[in-house]
Amino acid sequence: MERGVSTDVIEITDLSKSYGSVQVLRGLSLRVAAGEVYGLLGPNGAGKSTLLHLILGFLKPSSGSLRVLGSSNPDSVRPQIGYVPERQRYHTRYTAREYLRFIGEFSGMSGLDLADKVDIELHIVGLMNDADRKMSTFSKGMLQRVGVAQALLCDPALLLIDEPTSGLDPGGQREITDLLTNLRDRGHTVFLCTHYQRDIESLCDRVGVLAGGKLATEAVVRDLRALGDGVLIQVDAISTELRGSLEAIGRGVICDLRTVRIRQNTPQIQAMVLHRLLDAGAAIIALESLESPLEQLYARAVRADTSAHRYEYQTNSSDRTISPSPMNSPAPVIPPPPVTRRPNEGDTLLDELLRRGSAQEPTQRTGSRETGADDAEPNV
Amino acid sequence: MRTLRFTGFTLLEYVRSGRIILEIIATLVIFFVFLRRPGLGINAEYFFSVTGIYTPALTLYSTAAFIGIGDRPQGYVLLSRGVSRASYLLGIFFGTLVIVSSSYGLLSILTVILNPPPDLDLLGWIQGTLPLLLNVGLLSALMIMLSPMVFATSWRLLVLGLIALAFSNNFIGGTILMTLPDWAQSVLRAIQALLGGPLVPAFYGFQLAVTRDYTTATAVVNLIAQLSLLLSLLGLAIYSFSRRDLIFSHQ
Repeated sequence: MERGVSTDVIEITDLSKSYGSVQVLRGLSLRVAAGEVYGLLGPNGAGKSTLLHLILGFLKPSSGSLRVLGSSNPDSVRPQIGYVPERQRYHTRYTAREYLRFIGEFSGMSGLDLADKVDIELHIVGLMNDADRKMSTFSKGMLQRVGVAQALLCDPALLLIDEPTSGLDPGGQREITDLLTNLRDRGHTVFLCTHYQRDIESLCDRVGVLAGGKLATEAVVRDLRALGDGVLIQVDAISTELRGSLEAIGRGVICDLRTVRIRQNTPQIQAMVLHRLLDAGAAIIALESLESPLEQLYARAVRADTSAHRYEYQTNSSDRTISPSPMNSPAPVIPPPPVTRRPNEGDTLLDELLRRGSAQEPTQRTGSRETGADDAEPNV
Repeated sequence: MRTLRFTGFTLLEYVRSGRIILEIIATLVIFFVFLRRPGLGINAEYFFSVTGIYTPALTLYSTAAFIGIGDRPQGYVLLSRGVSRASYLLGIFFGTLVIVSSSYGLLSILTVILNPPPDLDLLGWIQGTLPLLLNVGLLSALMIMLSPMVFATSWRLLVLGLIALAFSNNFIGGTILMTLPDWAQSVLRAIQALLGGPLVPAFYGFQLAVTRDYTTATAVVNLIAQLSLLLSLLGLAIYSFSRRDLIFSHQ
């Protein structure tokens, strides 16, 4: 890398790529700093794999510029890049050890150094006991671990990972996510493309959403995580007075005649809302989890993929707001509240309800009984 | 060096895929049907006539099989490591060459052991083998150049069209040619001569393998022409493969 120029490992400016008349990327601009784990989220066909192949130099940009590890010639820096491709397509007629040895040889390694390195990587990805089995007998999760091992073999400065958990069963997904989480400690810069939000939430420092061939949105994952999942509370009725009291808690609390939505959620806000509802004698009918902030961000970006907003999530102890970064003129709008029901969520609220309910009159606990919470707590 | 390693990798993949069984069986069939001939002896000319037809046919199959192995998304991982695009293509080419040469070698050994041509010594075998294997390389390089991963469809159609024109005197000649206007006849003859030129070394190479007549300079010139054509085709394939968007088939 050329020193003193930039600490960004990936610098993409106004990049476009077309296949004939089909334009896949339209003026994409993106930067990934050294040591960062960046997740690119996007629906199938958004151009994520195309972008990775452009970074690797397999494809040539139609226009725009792309610098990787300080060089605009991908061929010159490719040895410093580890690549884990989408789907588990490897040469499965080899054993894992044979395959890794060949990959090491292609990368210029040899002899005992290579043998040791292969053993180390096999150990890290948990395949030491299966190292001498033909890969054709491997599960998809095991093949993906071979993929990670081959990418790490040369201690790459940049790790490109395409859909790491795609096509894996839940157990396999968890294995790969755990493996990649452990790899964060090795300090590689990681650029990860996926359409699974769970991958982003558990692995990444920053997330971008690719939609319409552009980077529609970027956010810091830690800030998104701090917001917590939103909650929808259905009650029998909300008086005007109660509504004013609830909405005074914070901008993230939105009420109508029968529902309260907590959009920028924290345990404290949940507790305050709940206290006020119960104090006012409102019967709570149902509790549902709203989309996570990342889901909201993604849904909004994909729905409105022509606008390229950047959101910067700012938090304080009592309230959380979403405000635009100075570079963007449009006013930030919290995504509309699409409601998805996910069982077994909203436990914090339930716990609070139960704790609070134990000190309340029976008439104030009608709603929580309907949620089934009382079944779990006979004393209430 | 990495080209050789990749060739070894590709060959091992090919052998483990089991495709090589077909080459072994085909070689044995060719030997027992055409070269074993119990009670009938064979001479060197007959041997090279048979092998001169069999090896290009085998090359068609083997090259197609190797291209099939190379033109898969598995290649992305290899190319993301130290294998350059040139090495990748050369690995496929050399892999094909090794398989076809080995089959030819097997055929030669069986013939020498079980039905040796009395007029064929080691020098004669080398003299016949050289143009024969150069033709194998030529055909393999042409097929690789025309594969979807190397040439775009439009270019493939163009090259195939030119090859068809070069061979067109086989089906546009004689009375058919006479029915065409004079200017059309002249243009067609010029095109056939122009495009047929590159095919001459291949045809003469076959003839040289059969006759093994190295008494004139033409033989050496032809070997040089075969080699030049082979290197040109390989160079063109590598140039195209290195410059174009890399999109493997069977996605």
